[in-house]
Amino acid sequence: MTLLPRSLSGRLLALSALTTAAALAFAAFGIGHVLERFVIRGLDQQLDAEVAMLAQAVRGDGLLDRARVVDLPVFARAGQGWGWRVEGPHGRWTGGDAMAIARDGPGPGPRGCPAPDDRCPTPGEGRTVTGERVHTRMLLVPTAAGATMVIAGGPRRLAVAPLREAMVPLLGSLAVLGVGLALATMVQLRYGLRPLRALQASLAEVRGGRARHVPVDQPRELAPLAAELNALVDRNEAQLAQARRHVANLAHGLKTPLAALGLKLAESGGDPALLAMVTDIDGRIRHHLGRARAAAPGGGARMRTMLAPAVDALLAVMRGIHADRAILSISRIAPDLAVAADPQDLDEMLGNLLDNAWRHARTSVRIEATAVGQDIRLAIEDDGPGLSAQARGEALVPGRRLDERGDGHGFGLPIAQELAELNGGGLALGEAGGGGLCVTLTLPAASS
Amino acid sequence: MRILIVEDDVVLADGIARALRAENFAVDVAANGEDGGHLGATERYDAAVLDLGLPKKDGVTVIREWRAAGQDLPVLVLTAREAWSDKVAGFKAGADDYLTKPFRIEEVVMRLRALVRRAAGHAGAIVTCGRLAYDAQLGTFELDGLPLKLTALEWRVLSVLMLRREIVVDRADLIERVYEGDAEVDSNSVEVIIGRLRKKIGAAMIETVRGRGYRVTAGAA
Repeated sequence: MTLLPRSLSGRLLALSALTTAAALAFAAFGIGHVLERFVIRGLDQQLDAEVAMLAQAVRGDGLLDRARVVDLPVFARAGQGWGWRVEGPHGRWTGGDAMAIARDGPGPGPRGCPAPDDRCPTPGEGRTVTGERVHTRMLLVPTAAGATMVIAGGPRRLAVAPLREAMVPLLGSLAVLGVGLALATMVQLRYGLRPLRALQASLAEVRGGRARHVPVDQPRELAPLAAELNALVDRNEAQLAQARRHVANLAHGLKTPLAALGLKLAESGGDPALLAMVTDIDGRIRHHLGRARAAAPGGGARMRTMLAPAVDALLAVMRGIHADRAILSISRIAPDLAVAADPQDLDEMLGNLLDNAWRHARTSVRIEATAVGQDIRLAIEDDGPGLSAQARGEALVPGRRLDERGDGHGFGLPIAQELAELNGGGLALGEAGGGGLCVTLTLPAASS
Repeated sequence: MRILIVEDDVVLADGIARALRAENFAVDVAANGEDGGHLGATERYDAAVLDLGLPKKDGVTVIREWRAAGQDLPVLVLTAREAWSDKVAGFKAGADDYLTKPFRIEEVVMRLRALVRRAAGHAGAIVTCGRLAYDAQLGTFELDGLPLKLTALEWRVLSVLMLRREIVVDRADLIERVYEGDAEVDSNSVEVIIGRLRKKIGAAMIETVRGRGYRVTAGAA
């Protein structure tokens, strides 16, 4: 289990917050330390002056010459935490407030001492008898009788109060700085990760059939990803094309001998049962090859396919293959309508539906396309005999095998329905105004 | 009437050729796109039956090249490619009709006759000229409402002339549309056929235009 957030910006934000907090804590500690030394120095100067005066008062024989003791004025104020003590082999003298010294004895050598000899006092801490914390300075004075310790202490609060006064606004400012840095990081993340969101949107465009590729003009870190995505899209397309070539070869390989067989059978008298078998085999091949040709199950990218040119091209085909039937076609399709479907799938759907309409129409076929929300609805109406409500219901029963059908509408409707559904649309049958069949093909629109 | 078949499957090509000859058509067969394309571009045919998946040159390319060269020969595509996209591609290249394998040979014959008739500018199935009527859909002739019996060569000559009734058909053009590519053609043979036809339908129906060719006409112009 990882404690890192799953989101990329979450990770970056967490890391940045951690490092910012550490840096700010270090800054607070460092600045506090410097400030403390600064304010303590004032206290030290007073204490060092007292210590120096006392050291002068210690005579060579180790006794304190009381007459030479002249206290600084602050040591005269009782109860304020100021006091001193001289301890030698021959006695112990005190002045000011009595205090317990927590650390006595010379330290390892004071820092910041101008001359590293024993004329420089060392710092220490202690408490007065009233419990007030004191800061001390101590000096060992060598005498003939031995080392005499001179200690002077002053109230620590004198140093701590200005320190606290300085630290409160300092910490406040640091906190504000931290929040500011966090906000700046969030803004950076929003701005910095924008190309990632743009790439995602481009990929959605590709999937929606509105673009072929994602733009390669990406920030340096994303450019390889975009190139990989495009290569993947291309490979999908190539695989689909190859699969279709394979299907075409298969169709050719199966159907040419089937055609020869049919011809031979017809020449040799044409047993209707055998000819029906040829037709049946043809139907099965058509059904399965038709499914194999469909783009959608292969996961190919959905293309943006213009509707009007596809319909126009197929109308030309209809006029060719049904040239003996003088059917008038009325097509109303806005030139900017585009569907998100593979162009070959669209041809297959439209071809089957138009062919169906042409076969059953008496005089005319109407084609009308409208955009309805996210979809494009294409209605194909013929003025033929139409289908009864019951027959319409049975014509599109899902899962019904094509070869079980015998309604004269051939393979066209179920193939178109299957392809429409594979492409995210649907097919519905209704009655046209004049009683003919109205087939409505719905496909997702590919907005510009 | 002479038809070009371009089909690489020998069994199928022979079968179609046999069936078309049984319907009186003169038939030439090419087994690949290159030969077929060359024949269609250089010889005179009334229509072509063209496979799309051909060796050496694809059928769509063959049509495209014919159309680019101004060859407006009616083309019936006969192919295993049944996808509507393939049909669109075929028609865009310049095909006139499209039939997928397997097929009923009667349908091939009917569609070929219809293509030839429409190419000659006849919207209706029956073409009449005086006492003579030609059913361009069934390929039968009637004289005064009675069926007219014709040999294959007579049928080819008369159908060519009837589809261009009242128009002079060039003699060389007529010979090309009547004989198969590998047939030995006697320079007088067309005159012999015309003579036999005149005996069957009346001398005045077929007019010889000296130095040019022949014309079927309803009466003395």
